[in-house]
Amino acid sequence: MTEPAATVPAAEPAVGARSAWRTFFRQPSGLLAAAVLVVMVLLAVLAPLIADEPGGTSPDVLRSPSGGHLFGTDDLGQDIFAQVVWGTRTSLLIGVAASLIAIVLGTAIGLASAYFRRVDAVGTVVTDVMLALPTLPLMIMLAAIVNPSVWTLTVIIGVFAWPEVARLIRSQGLVVSAMPYIDGARVLGATGWRIVTREILPAVVPLIVVSVLLTASRAVISEAGLSFLGLGDPDAWSWGRILLNAQRSGVVAIAWWQTLFPSLAILLLVLAATVAGMRFNDIRDPRRNGA
Amino acid sequence: MSRTFSGPARRWRVAVALGATAALGLSGCGLNEGNSSSGDSSGGGDVLRIGTTTDVSNFNPLQSLSKTDSWILNAMYPHLLRIDENAKKAPELAKEYTYEDGGKTAVFKLRDDFTWTDGKPVVAEDVKFSAESIMKYKLGNVAAKLTWVTSIEAPDPTTVKFHLSQPYAPFAEGVGFWMSIVPKHVFESAGDLSKFANDSDWVGAGPFVLESATKGQRYVMKRNEKYPLAPGGRPAVGKVEFRLYPDVNTMMLALRNGDIDLMGTPVPASAAKTFANDSKIKLTKVGALGFAHLTYNMTNKDLAKQEVRQALSMAIDTKSIISSVLQGDAQQMAGPISPIFADYDNTEIQPYPFDPAGAKAKLAAAGYSDGNGDGLFDGLDLGVACDQSNANLTRVVQLFRESAAQAGIKLTNECVERNTFLSRTKEGEYDIDASQWGVFDNPMDQLRSTYLSSNPGGINYNLLTSPEIDQLINDAAATTDPAAFATKIKNIDKVVHEQAYLTPLYVENFQFAYNASKFTGFVASPSDLLGMVTAYSLAQVKPVG
Repeated sequence: MTEPAATVPAAEPAVGARSAWRTFFRQPSGLLAAAVLVVMVLLAVLAPLIADEPGGTSPDVLRSPSGGHLFGTDDLGQDIFAQVVWGTRTSLLIGVAASLIAIVLGTAIGLASAYFRRVDAVGTVVTDVMLALPTLPLMIMLAAIVNPSVWTLTVIIGVFAWPEVARLIRSQGLVVSAMPYIDGARVLGATGWRIVTREILPAVVPLIVVSVLLTASRAVISEAGLSFLGLGDPDAWSWGRILLNAQRSGVVAIAWWQTLFPSLAILLLVLAATVAGMRFNDIRDPRRNGA
Repeated sequence: MSRTFSGPARRWRVAVALGATAALGLSGCGLNEGNSSSGDSSGGGDVLRIGTTTDVSNFNPLQSLSKTDSWILNAMYPHLLRIDENAKKAPELAKEYTYEDGGKTAVFKLRDDFTWTDGKPVVAEDVKFSAESIMKYKLGNVAAKLTWVTSIEAPDPTTVKFHLSQPYAPFAEGVGFWMSIVPKHVFESAGDLSKFANDSDWVGAGPFVLESATKGQRYVMKRNEKYPLAPGGRPAVGKVEFRLYPDVNTMMLALRNGDIDLMGTPVPASAAKTFANDSKIKLTKVGALGFAHLTYNMTNKDLAKQEVRQALSMAIDTKSIISSVLQGDAQQMAGPISPIFADYDNTEIQPYPFDPAGAKAKLAAAGYSDGNGDGLFDGLDLGVACDQSNANLTRVVQLFRESAAQAGIKLTNECVERNTFLSRTKEGEYDIDASQWGVFDNPMDQLRSTYLSSNPGGINYNLLTSPEIDQLINDAAATTDPAAFATKIKNIDKVVHEQAYLTPLYVENFQFAYNASKFTGFVASPSDLLGMVTAYSLAQVKPVG
């Protein structure tokens, strides 16, 4: 094989699962990132208890942040804090669901390419083509054609996010499938399906976990981008939609709170997911552990 | 191995990336960073820089025009009539018009002092040529206004006679205001005018004529040294430069920073206070010639029922929409005739009151019921379509959805990206259309294009086919006596209101911001299409000091 060895020698996990998590939480950045993610999930789940669903109008138009309105109000007098909290629901939902679609597709194609040579020829070309496509303009086109809703957005984002996952899983799968125990399994008469699902898949699971986090954070950004361009679900609050409202109403220059808080929310979520993913990747790498 | 094609693959990727960058560059290079010096080189303070949001998509003034197109082309090609500050027709190229032959001949008397920039005078033959070309190639929205013309005569250089197949009361007003007059001696040699691009070597007779056009960046116009409607026979400003700012926030910042002197597009109501503490920036307020409305698709089985349409009209709180979304800067309407046409607006009819309980009762009486107890009538689920880029209407739809739920009506928000919205509107793929009429210059043309079953203007968004309404409109159209004509229009206003074919939302006021420390003398006309940038207004502008 001429494939370079992937960074992760995964066949024999260097660290046991439990101690891996312990290492993960011992690092302040990992702990912090996980804490932010948990808070975000709680916000999303408990949104109805934290704030009323934004709606209606009030005379308190474009108020800056204060005790009554933590994040200020928009040009209809709606509370930005409530919009950000409810926006967490949409953003997280789309992030997680789209990343699941991408992971399932990407893992299936990646593993199939890694083990079956004939599939590899086609799979690699398709992956390369997908990676070469300008995804944002394509997503914009698709989102403009279909009726915008949370589900169509999820599918569009998920369908465009799988190639990175497929490539990652394939390169890891190639390393694993060249290992002697795979040859052993084959000699014992195991079918291709069994080898892929029982032998190779478990070896790449840590990589899948990392991919879920990274893909989800990219999906959140895609969703915010599409919503900001007016291609989001007009009935669901999302962070991108708060930004769009500010831009459309021409209040970006006078109401900094309407753009700052949703942007911070996006930043926090993406940063936390990325850091968590990186830390998780690190602890599986014995060269980084030093222990 | 996979490596063998990594070379071509990379090249492909580079090509696609380049393509994508180029595409993004085309749309994104309109931000006008660091080009403030360009205007200053050509005569200091007498370049008027105007911000606009869109490119010119078409330089042929006889075709249908978008906003930027019409600003620039109206400054180049004269019209017979213009709309003044009070929404009345005022003379431009034509001094006056009269009807002869019982209303079957419209006669325009032209001024004799308009000149094309190549030195030739503007004559009646130019008017005749423009109208005949529009009829021959069916160009733009003016073609529908010339429907009744059987022949056109130019007996002398300052007289044009339109012979009509039947009297049509607002013929002269409609054609006079909408039709651009083009130079016959230039356009004649262009051949098929439906394909004529007219994108270089411009010859005009308005106050300014295009000098250069840079797509995505700017359009520079130089003054016409002989323009009789300017004080002193010549515009005081040497050049007008339209600059592209795709985003209104950026445009407002550019005005504050002194990069532009006037915003061609209105300042959003919510953003007006951006300029509150700026002593140099002044705001001018004008009325509208159109209005925002909810129009009901009559081919929908529920919306075909008068009770449902009336109930919907009672399920939207237009008063609170005006006070919140438009910050109080708009008027309420009852029927389809805007109060700006004071002579024709039927003041006896009242808007439907906001009364969710009443709406509920009306629907219950019409046979709708709530069997599953979810507070919404069963089987009544309507979509409201709107353009996502319209800040006000997206907010209206959001509030309408909430208030309609109180009346037991389930609405789905179908606000989509602009081009999708436009194509759906064209195809009739909507239940309720939330949109805004831009400019109606007279009520008769409005009623004809919005309610006639033959749909001559292409904007019968109700998809209404009612012999009764057709008869009322055609009867009014042929009425030449002004008093009887007004009575008939008022009657149609009332009938449409009772039928609730539409729910008028508001007539909005527009605010235009300009740098008063540098330029003064704008004459603002109503509507966001005309505003501060009409040919007449630009001809009156003077630099300060």
